[in-house]
Order: sequence, then C-alpha cells, then structure tokens
Amino acid sequence: MKADKTLRIARWEVSKNAGQLDRRTLAAIGVVLVLVAALTPLVASKGIALDDGIYQVGVADDSPYRGPVANDSTFVAVEPDARAFRNGEIDVLILPGRPPVPAPTQKGQAAISELRATVQAYNDDLMGFERNRTAAFPVNVSLRYVAQNVSTTGAGTDDSEPPATTRPTDEDEVGLGGGESGGGDTGGETDDADLQATSRPTDNGDEIDSGESNSDGAGGESGGGDTVGATDRDAGGDDGGAVGDGPAGAPSVGSGSSLFTDQTRGGTPADIAPPFPFESLVLAFAFVLPMNFVIQAYASSILNERINDRGELLLVSPVSRGDIVAGKTLPYLVGMIAIATLTALGIAGLTPAGGDAPLEIVSTAAVSVAAVAPIALLFLACAFVGGMFARSFKELTFVTVTLSVLLTSYAFIPAIFTDVHPIAAISPLTLVVRALGGGAVPLADYAFSTLPLLLTAGTLFALGAGVYREEDMFTQRSVPLKFLDALDSQLSSPRSLAKLSALSIPFVFVAELLAVALLFALPVSVSIPALLVAIALVEEVAKSVGIYAGFAHERFGRSARSIGWLGFLSGLGFFVGEKATAVAQLVGLPNLELGRAAFGTVTGLGIQSSPLVLVGLFFAPLALHAVTATITAAGASRDRRWYFGTLAVATLVHAGYNLTVVSYLG
Amino acid sequence: MIDVDSLRKEYGGFTAVEGSTFSVPDGEVFGIIGPNGAGKTTTLKMLAGLIEPTSGSATVAGYDAQDAEMRNYLGFLPEESPLYEDMTPVSYLEFFGDLYDVPRATARERIHDTLDRLDLDHRDRKLGDMSKGMGRKVAIARSLVNDPEVLIYDEPASGLDPLTTNYIIEFTRELAESGKTVVFSAHNLFHVESICDRVVVMNDGRIVARGAVEEIRAEHGRTEYHVYTTVDIEGAVAENGAYRRIVESMDGVEETRELAAASGGEVTDIQTHTPSLEDIFLDLAEESPDVEGRP
Repeated sequence: MKADKTLRIARWEVSKNAGQLDRRTLAAIGVVLVLVAALTPLVASKGIALDDGIYQVGVADDSPYRGPVANDSTFVAVEPDARAFRNGEIDVLILPGRPPVPAPTQKGQAAISELRATVQAYNDDLMGFERNRTAAFPVNVSLRYVAQNVSTTGAGTDDSEPPATTRPTDEDEVGLGGGESGGGDTGGETDDADLQATSRPTDNGDEIDSGESNSDGAGGESGGGDTVGATDRDAGGDDGGAVGDGPAGAPSVGSGSSLFTDQTRGGTPADIAPPFPFESLVLAFAFVLPMNFVIQAYASSILNERINDRGELLLVSPVSRGDIVAGKTLPYLVGMIAIATLTALGIAGLTPAGGDAPLEIVSTAAVSVAAVAPIALLFLACAFVGGMFARSFKELTFVTVTLSVLLTSYAFIPAIFTDVHPIAAISPLTLVVRALGGGAVPLADYAFSTLPLLLTAGTLFALGAGVYREEDMFTQRSVPLKFLDALDSQLSSPRSLAKLSALSIPFVFVAELLAVALLFALPVSVSIPALLVAIALVEEVAKSVGIYAGFAHERFGRSARSIGWLGFLSGLGFFVGEKATAVAQLVGLPNLELGRAAFGTVTGLGIQSSPLVLVGLFFAPLALHAVTATITAAGASRDRRWYFGTLAVATLVHAGYNLTVVSYLG
Repeated sequence: MIDVDSLRKEYGGFTAVEGSTFSVPDGEVFGIIGPNGAGKTTTLKMLAGLIEPTSGSATVAGYDAQDAEMRNYLGFLPEESPLYEDMTPVSYLEFFGDLYDVPRATARERIHDTLDRLDLDHRDRKLGDMSKGMGRKVAIARSLVNDPEVLIYDEPASGLDPLTTNYIIEFTRELAESGKTVVFSAHNLFHVESICDRVVVMNDGRIVARGAVEEIRAEHGRTEYHVYTTVDIEGAVAENGAYRRIVESMDGVEETRELAAASGGEVTDIQTHTPSLEDIFLDLAEESPDVEGRP
C-alpha cells in the first residue's frame, strides 16, 4: 500500500460525494447540524425538561415555600388567590401559616407530591450549607457497594460468606442491592458477595462531605466506602422522600431526595437509588448513533463501485486493492472520529464528572474517542463487507440495517450494566460511560473490550478486500455465495485453511460474547446448556465454512486422505487461534458463571488437577477441533445438504465435549 | 509490445479462453473479433491485468500483465464505462492523472488537448448530465491521460450512433498513426477491417483464424462468380428476367457458357463477389473451432 495513493483516493472519495449534494441539501444538513450542536449540550447539561411549568402554585413572596417553588422549574409561582384555586387555575394553594392544599384533582395530587419532594430536596440543600455539620448530619452512614453475584457457585465468591442470592435479605440490603459503586473494580468486588451498611457517629464534618457522589453513581471510589451524611431529624417528613399523603414538610431542615444527585448533601439510606448510569448511557449512545448514518453512505459508495462495473477503472489503475479500500474507507473513518471527538469534547465539557479543568476534559474526551474508534472501525468493516456482498441497494439496506441493529446492541446492551455486572466489560461503550463518569479506564479493560472488535474488523476488511477484484466484485451472486467467494479468495492451498480458521477467532470471540450477552439474564440452568450448544455451533461453522468454500470452488481433492488433512489443518489453526481467547482472563470475565462456560473450556481456568491432566485438557481441544472439522469436511466434500447434516453432528459432539469439561470444572 | 502465450482462463468448469497465443508488435492495430461469448473481453481483461489467467502468460510493454507497474503503460477502455455522475469531465480526468502520477500541469494540458481533439465541449457539466457519446469520449480521454504506449479498447464504439462511431474509429486510427499499439475488439467488422493491421478471430474461447485481413480472406474466403444467362440451365435460378448461376472458378464460368449455348442461349453478364470479413467470420463461427488454436 502507498500512502500517497491512498490519500488521493480518499480525497477523491470526498470530492466525488461532495458533488452529490446540491446547495439546498447542504443548507438543510447545516441547519440540522447547528440544531444538534445547540440541543445536545442543552440536553446534556439540563436534560429534557418536558414538565417545565406544568403546576401552578399559589404562594406569597414572603412564604417559606416561595424558595423551593421558585427553584423548581416544574412549578410556576402565582399569587395565592383562593378564587383562582376554586376555579381550578391553581394546583396547590399555600396560605400564610397553613399547610399547602392541593386542588381536588389528580393534577392537584401530583402537584402536592412533587412539591413535597421539592421541599425535601431544598431542605437538603439548606442542610448542606449549615456550618455546624455535626448538628446538620448527626449520623454518618458509610456505604460500600459490591457486586451482586448472581451465581451460587461463582469462583469469585468469598467462601466465608454465603452468596448474596442464597442469603435472606433484610430491608437495607434490598434497598442497596443490585449495584456496586461507580468506578468500582468489577473483578475485585466480586469477591465480596455481600452488602454492607454500617452506621457510626460522625466524627467531623469532613467525613460527611466525602460521601458526595455524582448523579450516575460513577464517581464512587473503587472498592472503597462512600460516606454519606444522613440525618434522623425529621422536619420534612421522615418518609425519606417517599410520596405520602401527609402535608409537605416545611422548607427548613430535613432529609430525603436521591443520594445520587448533584444537590445531595444528606438523606437516609432508604433514599438511595441504584447507581444506574442512565445519563452517561444516553450520552454514550450519542457516539454510536451517528455511525449508523455514516455506514449507510459508506456502504452505498462501495456498492456504487460495483454497479455497472464502475470500479473497473480504478482496478486497472496503478494502485493496489489495499490503496483503493483504504482510500475509500479513510474519509468515513476520519468523519466518524471527528464526530466522536466533537461529541466527546462537548459532553466532557458540559458534564465534567472527571473534572472541569481543560486537561481533564480533553483526557476524558480522549478516552471516550479511543474507546469509540474500534466500534467505528467495526461498523465500517461490516458495512464494507455488506457493500461487497449485496447485489442491489435494496439488499444493501437490509444488510446494513441488520448490521446496525446487531452492532448497536453489542455495544449498547452490555454498557447498560456498567458497574453493575461483569458482562459490561465486553463493550467499549462501558469505557465511555466510565470515562464520562470520572472513573478510571485500566489498559487491560480497554484491551479486552476493543481488541476483539479491532481483530474482527481487520478480518472483515481482509475478507471483503479478497473479493475486491474484477472477477468477483461485479458478479451478481447471492450474499451467501459471495461470502464463500470471499473465503475462497483467502485459500491458496490446504495450509491456508489453518490460517483462515485462526483468522476466524476474533469473529468467533465476538459471536460468543454476543451469545453470553444475550443469555446471561436467563437462569443458569437454561442459559448454560443453550450457550454450550450456541458456542459449539459458532465454532463448528467457523472451522468448516472455509472447507466448504474450498470444496465449492473445486479447490480441494475429495479423497478420504484429503478430507482428513483438511480437517486437521482447520482444527489446528482454530486451536492455535483459540488460545488467544485467554485474553478473557484479563478482566475476570470467566469469573462470571457464563463466562466460565464460554471460555473456561479453552483457558482451563479454575482447574485444579495434576499437571498431566492439565496438559491433557490443554491439548484435548485440538483433538476435538480436528475430529469435528473432519466430520464437517466429509459432509462438505459431498454437497450442501450433507454439509449441514455433518455440521449438526459436529455441533452435538462439540457441545457434548463442552458439557463434559464444564461439568468437570464444576 | 504484447506477447501472449497459451493463455487460458477457466471459471469453475467453464473454459472462457483456451490456449490463445499471439503477438502484437509496436505501433500495430490489432483486432480481436468473434461472436458474443467467444472470449474476446476475457482476453482483453487478462491483458489489462484485471483477470488472472488460469495458465499461460501475457506480457505487455515488457511487464507481466499481472504486474501493477505495467498499468502505467496501459490505457484501458472497457466495453461499458460508467462514469462518476457527480464529477465533471475535468475533475474526473485529473483524478486519474493523479493516480498515474502525472504532474497536475501536464495532466491539465493533456486533458484539454485530448478533449479538444475529441471535440468535447461542456467540460464543466456533470458527467451524469452528458450523452452516452460524450461519456464515451471522456472515457477515451481517461485512457489517454497517462499517455500510454499500449491501448486496449473493448468495443470502443459500442452502442453509439453512426456519426460518433465514425468519429471514434477515426480517432483510434489517429492514435495508431501516432505510434501507439492498439488492441481493439468490435462487433462491427467493417471497423475492424478498416483500421486493423492484423486480426484474430475467436470462437468458443479459441482462436480460429489469424493474420492480416487479406490473408484471412485468401485463406478462408471463397471468390464467387455470378453468371447470368438468357435461358434456364442446370443450377440456375430466375432473377429479374434472367437466370443466375453461381460458380467458384473460371472453369465453372466456361461450363455455364457451354450449357447456355447448348440450350440456345448465351451468357449476358458475369459478376465477381469477394467475401467480406463478416462473411468469413460467419463461416468460421459456424465451423468447428478446431481450425486453429489448440494448445
């Protein structure tokens, strides 16, 4: 590949496509971009306030309720006019020296509930400014969040304590369960399948302040105790912010409101909300959303080269296939990175959980972009393959929409469980959520979540580039046949089958992670058998599809000896590549029961046995892969029906092996 | 300039080109003719390095056809040349000039010179707004942007109106006269006959005839004599009040005269018919492909 040629093609790709936009379209795009640029920071900093000014509160200027009402945009303060109240123009009426009275309507009841919560939050704020912190918060509660291990036999469970799910729970634990502290070390925390809530007298005010946390809970100390101030005094209602039927507390002192809001100065344990990083997730989604649009343009550009042999003239120019593919891809990748950078800077600047110093903002943005870049590359790789395989724009639309949904799910769904469940580790968006929440992103976590995507993207680009030649790219073959063509283009000899099998590992790894992500919420008794079969199927397909492609293109002999040799080579390549999945150990995903089922058979994790048995277990997969690949090779050498039949047999053999090993591992 | 030896291309079980061997010296206009599916385009694409031969070799300008360096000396015009509709002719041609490392000033001068010679106006118009003939001219200009030594033109006048077709054929002739080596395929055999120094005739992937047009005519063509008489004789057919008998030699003519005299009539006219390349081509296409070209 030559950089200058690649850059020329990249520049041409931009200018060529720029010519497709007339001034009106450009103006419309400009307006949309300006609107998005203007609204995104607004949404990021203030959220979408659909309930602004929905309640009318009649309150006098000198009323102690005036402050809370004025501070909450939900309310509109009006003169306390009894006639207007009777006419239904006022939702809550507050007369001097009397408790607030709601209008006898559903809206009035909702308004009084909202007012009650607002008053409590207002009181919390007032308490936060109290100089005598000990008086304001006489009780100091230390909270320590740990992972809730859904397993009863997980390796990470501390033997000295029963697993959380098997213990009787009390109210405090119910209130605090299901989460772990933001930024907490997932792997480490799993050792403590326990929930702790302790109370101690406050020694000084400083300790009280240390309990502040950001809104999404991501700012907590890793594995450490978060200390929050709490009061047992009750002026605002000791129902802890729960909406009750009683009158709203007078705005002077009190407790309540979420502990995980920016305004929190105190509260009660009952107010604690799970540390669900909703805001960060929504913002992280802002990174992925534009990618879905960019890949449409990219895939269309690739397919456009294939319509009416248009790309033939590039192929006959003194440039390589690599130059062409890289040149056509580069502008879209740069565009995605540029969008991600702007988004990251905007979000990090407006929600500076990691600090509002310019360096910290840039640092947070850089981590976010570094985490998003592999996702962008994988989106482009999938779009490239889609563009190379589809026969029409209609077919391409189906392919790209399917890919968009799958990839977005892969990136987004695990990230929902950031700092809640180890499954989050597979998605780079988790890193974004952590970075935006001010948490640290260890290099091992980064490598674990991004390397599979990078390797998969590389493999897909290689596959697509394999058919970026005159003989393949202009033919009107179906997507499955194109896929076989692409595989065949990587086969120069039987030995290259081993390389192809090894190259399939990133794809297999991602597919298995996706299976884990889809199945982890099911009961273990259901999810593990299903996962074992799914994994066996994925691996058998990965090993055999290259063999099938070779036979379909008359590349291999069909003698028994040839079939055995092909099966061994494919199994060997897969075995070697499979060991790379040991990277799963980096962040302790195999400590998750499902992770152990998925990867334990490969890595031998958790096995305590004699060295001979360990060596046997280490090489047993080689025998398994060679045997099952030979089974499918025998079927592939005949026809498609035989191939699918032998694939089913090989999958069952493989699943049986997996089940045996998992049972052995306990 | 071009050497092809035992070139063969197989797709699965289908053989598209079988054992083609020919050479094209510098400055020659070489034609490849044959019916659809004969293997002409596959042969040209193997020469251009677009398709990898299953076996055999092709050397162009001293380089193996699969060598990327060869493409610097080649101008290729495919049968269909869809352009990038949203570019203008000049920006399109400049881009290809860049790919061939032609200095921008040189490329610009060459582009405008070629477009002048091709009589192409509206150079700021988008390619998508141009007629097929204008687009073809742009495609030809693209094949010349690197000032190549070898031109491979696949059906350069395909689908164009007669005026544009003649224009492009004449332009190709001028290119040959300027010293470029041109390999040319066409369905219209009149064009091939009018500008090609030598041709090969392909059928079913094999070369079935080769040489200068006159040589092929002499080898594969049959001169016919149409002899017209005033009386009906054996082998004659009535035509416009006379009787026509077709013979293939002067002996046949003499025999016809004797037959007419014996019936009380006489010979009124004798016409000589020389076969066109198209006639020969049609004959060859109907014959067995074993005339020539077996490896």
